[in-house]
Amino acid sequence: MFEWSDEHRMIREAVQRFVDEEVRPHVDELEHGDLPPYDILRKMFATFGMDAMARDRFAKQIAREQAALDATARCEEPPARTESGDDGGGLSLIPIIELCRVCPGMVTAMGVSMGLTSAAIMSKGTIRQKQRWALDLLTMDKVGAWAITEPGSGSDAFGSMRSTARRDGDEYVLNGSKTFITNGPYADTIVFICKLDEGNPPEQRKVLSFVLDRGMPGLVQSKPLRKMGMHSSPTGELFLDDVRVGLDRLIGETEDLPSGGRDGAKATFQQERAGVAAMALGIIEECLQLSVQYARDRVQFGRPIGEFQLIQEKLARMEVARMNVQNLVFRTMEMGAAGRSMTLAEASAMKLYSARAATEVAMEAVQLYGGNGYMSEFRVEQLARDAKVLQIYAGTDEIQITHIAKDLLRT
Amino acid sequence: MNVIVCVKQIPDPATPGALDPGTKTLKRDGKLILDESDSYGVEMALQLVDAAGGGEVSIVSMAPNGEVSGMRTALAMGAAKGVLVSDPALQGSDALTTAKVLAAAVGKLGGADLVIAATESSDGYTGTVPEQMAEVLGLPSVTFAKKVVVDGGSLKVDRQTEDGYDEVTCPLPALISVTAGVVEPRYPSFKGIMAAKSKPIDTVTAGDLGVSPTGWAGAGQEIVDVAQAEARAAGEIIEDDGEGYTKIVAFLENLKVI
Ligand SMILES: Cc1cc2nc3c(=O)[nH]c(=O)nc-3n(C[C@H](O)[C@H](O)[C@H](O)COP(=O)(O)OP(=O)(O)OC[C@H]3O[C@@H](n4cnc5c(N)ncnc54)[C@H](O)[C@@H]3O)c2cc1C
Ligand SMILES: Cc1cc2nc3c(=O)[nH]c(=O)nc-3n(C[C@H](O)[C@H](O)[C@H](O)COP(=O)(O)OP(=O)(O)OC[C@H]3O[C@@H](n4cnc5c(N)ncnc54)[C@H](O)[C@@H]3O)c2cc1C
Repeated sequence: MFEWSDEHRMIREAVQRFVDEEVRPHVDELEHGDLPPYDILRKMFATFGMDAMARDRFAKQIAREQAALDATARCEEPPARTESGDDGGGLSLIPIIELCRVCPGMVTAMGVSMGLTSAAIMSKGTIRQKQRWALDLLTMDKVGAWAITEPGSGSDAFGSMRSTARRDGDEYVLNGSKTFITNGPYADTIVFICKLDEGNPPEQRKVLSFVLDRGMPGLVQSKPLRKMGMHSSPTGELFLDDVRVGLDRLIGETEDLPSGGRDGAKATFQQERAGVAAMALGIIEECLQLSVQYARDRVQFGRPIGEFQLIQEKLARMEVARMNVQNLVFRTMEMGAAGRSMTLAEASAMKLYSARAATEVAMEAVQLYGGNGYMSEFRVEQLARDAKVLQIYAGTDEIQITHIAKDLLRT
Repeated sequence: MNVIVCVKQIPDPATPGALDPGTKTLKRDGKLILDESDSYGVEMALQLVDAAGGGEVSIVSMAPNGEVSGMRTALAMGAAKGVLVSDPALQGSDALTTAKVLAAAVGKLGGADLVIAATESSDGYTGTVPEQMAEVLGLPSVTFAKKVVVDGGSLKVDRQTEDGYDEVTCPLPALISVTAGVVEPRYPSFKGIMAAKSKPIDTVTAGDLGVSPTGWAGAGQEIVDVAQAEARAAGEIIEDDGEGYTKIVAFLENLKVI
């Protein structure tokens, strides 16, 4: 794949029109006001039938899982999986790219809710749990948050994790605090990751994930934290003080998931890393387009600044980044269409490169715009602040590097 | 209820157009897109079919080089099928030939309860094709439709006029031309876009439809010259020395605006 298909292009144009008509006019309220992004996202889902498609896909997956369970119960082979004519995820990547040209924060909020949070339930939950929580997240009817990070545990998410679940009769009692949680302030459905405290040392404890609903006794969701960028994505803290839950809220409804709680969380990381490449592509494409225009229009020393070689070098580097990141996105799509997924190292390499490229391109766009680039009135200022977080969340650059190196050095 | 919509595919107005110095007509060799004027017709047709509780929307278009991009947009919005007339022999056709060709394409689809066109296209904008089509098809026609309701066998149309609108009733089948902005054209859904590729478009030539003569030979008129539009005269710049408003007031009074 070296270019978008005709259908993809039509989808891009349609989403661009939506972004121009429904997002751009609200950027100020989303970025500097109190407008949460969810209603506009819901409107986008309804407009393009993304909610109906999610419902269809969900119904098919549940039917397939139910058939497999029934077959296993009858001691038969589960029915073979028939691949549908998948486009490799283009339908979900294109809205990410187009929204990121204007409002990457909206993508962060959307991705965490309908991507990360729902995936945590869809990959390890029981059918009942999927029906109860995941469908509404996939359609954006409800807002989801996925909470692993704590004040004392970030990169070393599992090692330093202090949140706990203690058994109490048929129930669990949950305690702990989480921070930097995307959608935390507004979430209806929260996946809370913690360790089962059986009185054993923390490093031996099982990792469990629970689904919480907004308003449960003992659960406090903070107001949005102030931050450098991604202002249209509300980020907050969660505090759990003796929150009581039944087994029905433990993802998988068992403490002993076949591939363990840690692997479940890792699979989620992987999906997130691919999404970051698409986000980077949107930011890079927008910055490049704005920069080319400015290089033509801005005149200094009697010439458009695009005639200066130092400016040309910036544009050339941006174009290289655009091509590389686009190729990575195409690669994810082709692999998806072929039913293949990247290794953790490959996904990490993609995330590392794309995040750095987006930040470099956006900062260079600010530089190319000169003083205007530092002013909020010009779009590159916001994009540069937004891009930076791609190097921090979903695993920092340094953590991606350790994952790649670990894989390369594996014997 | 079955509705046929004329959809013109035009050069993207966002990219600067150019005239062919030889033929003095608009160059149409690049990719063409759905004329925005026709997106209202498509939307109205979809709404009318919905309201009728059955039937389908078909589209007809005449365009060079087998172009279907704009038609796909209409199919993605929800039209079911289309006929494209594409034929080098049609190069140089005037509006009457276009009307004859489109009328024949409507015939190829077996006619319809209602044919919809836009009041005028965005590139040619002679605003004459719809009425000529109605004449060729022998259908009653209503122009400048801003609201359309089907009531049994007849059509109730609010027809835009300079100072309001006329309420017009007309029997079906009929042909109407709709004004821009009458309805809000829907976004194509992702599913609609993916499905559009497999919806049928029948591509035919003028000969297949039995329309002749066509092109330069068929045109009852000739483009003899193309001239630059006169540049707008430079405006008067008033430096505001605190009394600038008096000059503006005087200017407007002179125009009898105030
Ligand atoms: C806007 C935003 C949204 C977020 N959303 C969520 C969310 O929805 N849910 C959630 O659970 N979390 C979320 N996070 C948290 C995010 O995942 C963490 O901030 C990130 O994983 C880094 O952890 P930390 O902040 O504790 O940094 P630390 O882990 O303290 O890292 C500090 C520095 O040390 C480096 N470092 C750490 N370990 C190593 C090592 N082994 N080798 C080399 N260098 C190392 C890091 O790379 C970094 O540069 C979000 C963060 C932000 C900023
Ligand atoms: C002598 C002569 C030669 C010409 N040669 C050429 C030429 O070589 N190439 C060229 O491109 N133009 C040529 N033209 C212009 C051409 O005739 C008109 O652009 C064309 O016939 C349609 O007219 P219009 O766009 O003004 O339609 P209008 O009457 O303004 O259109 C009203 C509505 O009719 C429908 N409609 C009109 N045309 C089409 C169509 N093609 N397909 C579907 N629906 C349609 C649409 O709904 C449209 O909104 C020539 C004109 C003359 C006089």
